[in-house]
Amino acid sequence: MARIGVFICHCGHNIAATVNVEKVVEFAKTLPDVVIADHNLYSCSEEGLGSIRKSIEKNKLDRIVVAACTPRTHEPLFRKTCEMAGVNKYLFEFVNIREHCSWIHTKEPDPATEKAKKLIAMGVAKAGLLEPQKETESSVIPTAVVIGGGLTGLTAAASLVAQGIDTHLVETSGRLGGILGDIEIIGPEFSRSKELLDQLVSELKGSSHAKIHLDTKVTAVSGFIGNFEVTIESKGKSEKVPAGAIILATGAKEFVPTGEYGYGSIPGVITQLEFERRLAKGDHPKRVAFIQCVGSRQPGREYCSRVCCNASLKNALRIVEAEPSSRVSIIHRDIMSYGTASERLYREASDKGVVFLRYGLERPANVTRKQKGLVVEVYDETIDENIDIDADLVVLATPMVSREDARDVGKLLKVPLDKYGFFLEAHVKLRPVEFATDGVFICGSARWPSSVSECIGQGLAAAAKASIPIRRGKVVVEAITCWADTDKCAACGSCVIACPYEAIEIVEDEDRRYAKVNEAQCKGCGTCVASCPNDAMQQRGFTSRQLSSMIDALIKNAMEET
Amino acid sequence: MAEFNPTILAFCCNWCSYAGADLAGVGRLQMPPNIHVIRVMCSASVKPEYVLKAISGGVDGVLVLGCHIGDCHYMTGNHRTAKRMPLVQKVLKEVGIDERRLRLDWVSASEGEKFQKVVTEFVGEIKNLGPNPMRGVKW
Amino acid sequence: MPKKVVVIGGGIAGIQASLDLADMGYEVHLVEKTPSIGGRMAQLDKTFPTNDCSMCILSPKMIMCAGHENVTLHTYSEVEEVSGQFPHLKVKIKEKARFVNIDKCTGCGDCIAKCPVKVPDEFEQKLSKRKAIYLPFPQAVPRKVTIDGETCRMIKSGKCGVCKKVCQAGAIEFEQKDKLIEIDASAIVVATGFDLMDASALPQYGYGSCKDVVASLQFERILSASGPMGGHLVRPSDGSTPKKLAFIQCVGSRDEKMHKYCSSVCCMYATKESILAREHVPDIETTIFYMDMRAVGKGFQEFVQRAEKNYGVRYVRSRPAKVQPARGDKGVLVTYETRGLAGEQVSEEFDLLVLCPALLPSKGSKPLAKLLGLELDEDDFLKAKDMRHPVDSTRKGILVCGFASGPMDIPDSVAQASGVAARVAELLQGGG
Repeated sequence: MARIGVFICHCGHNIAATVNVEKVVEFAKTLPDVVIADHNLYSCSEEGLGSIRKSIEKNKLDRIVVAACTPRTHEPLFRKTCEMAGVNKYLFEFVNIREHCSWIHTKEPDPATEKAKKLIAMGVAKAGLLEPQKETESSVIPTAVVIGGGLTGLTAAASLVAQGIDTHLVETSGRLGGILGDIEIIGPEFSRSKELLDQLVSELKGSSHAKIHLDTKVTAVSGFIGNFEVTIESKGKSEKVPAGAIILATGAKEFVPTGEYGYGSIPGVITQLEFERRLAKGDHPKRVAFIQCVGSRQPGREYCSRVCCNASLKNALRIVEAEPSSRVSIIHRDIMSYGTASERLYREASDKGVVFLRYGLERPANVTRKQKGLVVEVYDETIDENIDIDADLVVLATPMVSREDARDVGKLLKVPLDKYGFFLEAHVKLRPVEFATDGVFICGSARWPSSVSECIGQGLAAAAKASIPIRRGKVVVEAITCWADTDKCAACGSCVIACPYEAIEIVEDEDRRYAKVNEAQCKGCGTCVASCPNDAMQQRGFTSRQLSSMIDALIKNAMEET
Repeated sequence: MAEFNPTILAFCCNWCSYAGADLAGVGRLQMPPNIHVIRVMCSASVKPEYVLKAISGGVDGVLVLGCHIGDCHYMTGNHRTAKRMPLVQKVLKEVGIDERRLRLDWVSASEGEKFQKVVTEFVGEIKNLGPNPMRGVKW
Repeated sequence: MPKKVVVIGGGIAGIQASLDLADMGYEVHLVEKTPSIGGRMAQLDKTFPTNDCSMCILSPKMIMCAGHENVTLHTYSEVEEVSGQFPHLKVKIKEKARFVNIDKCTGCGDCIAKCPVKVPDEFEQKLSKRKAIYLPFPQAVPRKVTIDGETCRMIKSGKCGVCKKVCQAGAIEFEQKDKLIEIDASAIVVATGFDLMDASALPQYGYGSCKDVVASLQFERILSASGPMGGHLVRPSDGSTPKKLAFIQCVGSRDEKMHKYCSSVCCMYATKESILAREHVPDIETTIFYMDMRAVGKGFQEFVQRAEKNYGVRYVRSRPAKVQPARGDKGVLVTYETRGLAGEQVSEEFDLLVLCPALLPSKGSKPLAKLLGLELDEDDFLKAKDMRHPVDSTRKGILVCGFASGPMDIPDSVAQASGVAARVAELLQGGG
């Protein structure tokens, strides 16, 4: 038999002006298992909370119902109050009679009062069936694994070790630095990538917290936040690395054209990265034409690769600065020099004589080889005319595309990818470096083509996120998770499929099979509950008995009226 | 005979529709006092059994409100709700209950006005349909 | 003793930095000069490219921030003085007098209903009025009213006092004074966001002289369900529903004489607002006058294509020369040149014109930078230490994130904000 206390709030006259609080208090006293019903002017005030605590102690209450405003603001406050009075915080139920009642029926005080009574009857019915809950805590292995040793992975790892966290950096190739290894000078500051990379590598190598694994692949990942096991393999040898958090920074690669603009058949038609390598060798051509959006912003690959215009601007400036008499053109559809520094580069390039020509998707440029060198025919949209550009080199600015192994990595970590093979973050606006799966983080061009400063920013962000559970040392889950009543579970697997977080699996126990929810993964949505054909799946704080009792209470009190 | 005053049950999800209902309250948007909200974390957790229980107990209408498709806090929950509720409506129809007594709609946390509109419309519709024929049925 | 960090600016970047720092165990003091946290995101109707309701995704973060045991909010407050050096920075914060006791105020709103004073509402971009005692917006955090001392009759001339009479919680305190508090902080985060350039600085675009020319943030408020028009897309001159809508991009951006830089987000938000306009008015026709369509993020190109194909948005590559009022000062005439060598000057009439002005570092950022001893770049954004440290300012121990450091959208601001938290942790661990 529960001992329920019901506390009804006046909220000044926000509730009391419409709802007859005294009548509601009298009504509450008649409800099953209600030991005391009282009212407060402002329940959330120090005074109100104090009087609730006193009442709990005096009347030995074990279930508390507060009827006031919306739980979305004050539920944590009242839960704490219950705890302070010695009652488990999950034995508390909040009934909304302000936003959902008094404020929306101001001209109908009598019906509003009747409605408040019914809402409280529903809350009391549920409260009577609430069970104390213990929040699950799981410990966290104080180690992080960063997958990918390019700029982003290096930044994330360097940040983690600088924070004092043991970190394993896993890189498939034999060297660190990723794509930047091919790019000597980076914009918009025109600094040397080697300096940046060397600095990062020395920060890592200089730390006892860092362990770098080259020529190493991740072959298996199991577990959940705080308790991952990452299996890495190098030269035939396998090692299991326990980790609390995983950061994915596997980057992307340059799209290599399949014959566009004569690539592969006309010598002198090269990609941006191929051009970077030439520039690094000091090979500065006199006449260069850059063609933007080769293989991007078109059917089949709709996206803009964000960094290519800035790369061409940077390289164009390098050429004209090295040799002011050079003839450089950038043939584009839009110049994506967003922000401050990049827009400055665009102006500078234009001021220094770089020629900008605009073409449309429907009329791409054409590259032919003539006696004097390469000729790029462009239909320039700005002046509605065909222009021929002479060039020694034609540089194709192609998009960054996902790596071939991206989907395999996705399967290993059980994280999703978009249709282009870029990893899908938990929320495109507000959770850019997190996955929906807790404890796994994404940064850099593996998520979306990103500039140097954006990669560094995201690497740092992922390191911050990864450090949180590690610093806490534990993962605490709100006790609204789900579980399967094994007496009813038929192990049909509907819940396994329904769960958006892959938190459920069918397990075998002696000679019984049933669904088991991983509480550290469970987000408490209850999708599994409605998928279960047997009423086996239940959600703490929202069990079918509890919700059914609310429906019964509504029916009982409504039908008695009419 | 007194005017028919429907009793309506509404399931609202914590992240969207419950917050939208709150916003309607904050905005003092007036609406008929016939609906009673049960808060759930996700509309996907609303079992068909709850709807059937409510209807067979005499509740005149059931409203299930979730996040707009694409906005579900739990990613895909509302997709399931979108598939499930029409099936429940079919069941209602099969047993001779007007399927319009169950309504599924999407209300985001910033749509206080939409909440008011949906509630007001639904109450009007149920008034037109009349009392639930299962009222007073003794099981 | 947990180390303290002062975060200046309560928009999405400041909120995210505060949450991450608090989760990492630091004691965070979030200082926001307006009465509520939320910043620009609170003013947006929806966010691109998903058209998520902005307040719906912001509100939980605001509540989490305010409720976090490691976060103390100092709203309606400003940083007055900072002395010392990392990691011992003495930060003096002025908590401005609200004339309301926030421990007693329950946010019920009775006072607002009775206040006789009406002044232009900053949150609604002056499209409507608020009272002298007010909540900046319904979902304000903290949900406590504030009395604007500049316009309140009691504060200015000792008359009225109606709010005090009707307040059942006894929360009104006309004698309240500004409070100065000092925090011994180990690090400071600057996340002061942006302001829109006042488009009347470019009179050829008609802002201020034509009734039916609005700034983009005003248009956002018009579109908002909780905005001054109740979510009805109407034009200022006669309250009618526009059928022909236009946007002019780069008003004061990418401009030799005004601001040379690109504000980064306007191409996308204009596209978004066009899509939303169609959802409000199914037969509205929208034209966007632009220079380059900068849709560089995830899903952005598809968003622009959808706008063109499914929402009837017409993208015209042109920089209009001038805007004049149409007949009776209802609607506008936009004069622009059509593309190509055979381009000609055209004047087209629109019912409503939205200007996308340059987005500037917020006006408090320059004086704050001076106070903190931080360098600004040539566009007045806070300068980064170097390439390796994009979220460090030029002074050790002071970090920068979000629009204060440069034009960027919400995901980039959020990522930088988390990045700042990592840098604080590195620095306080003894890193460089």
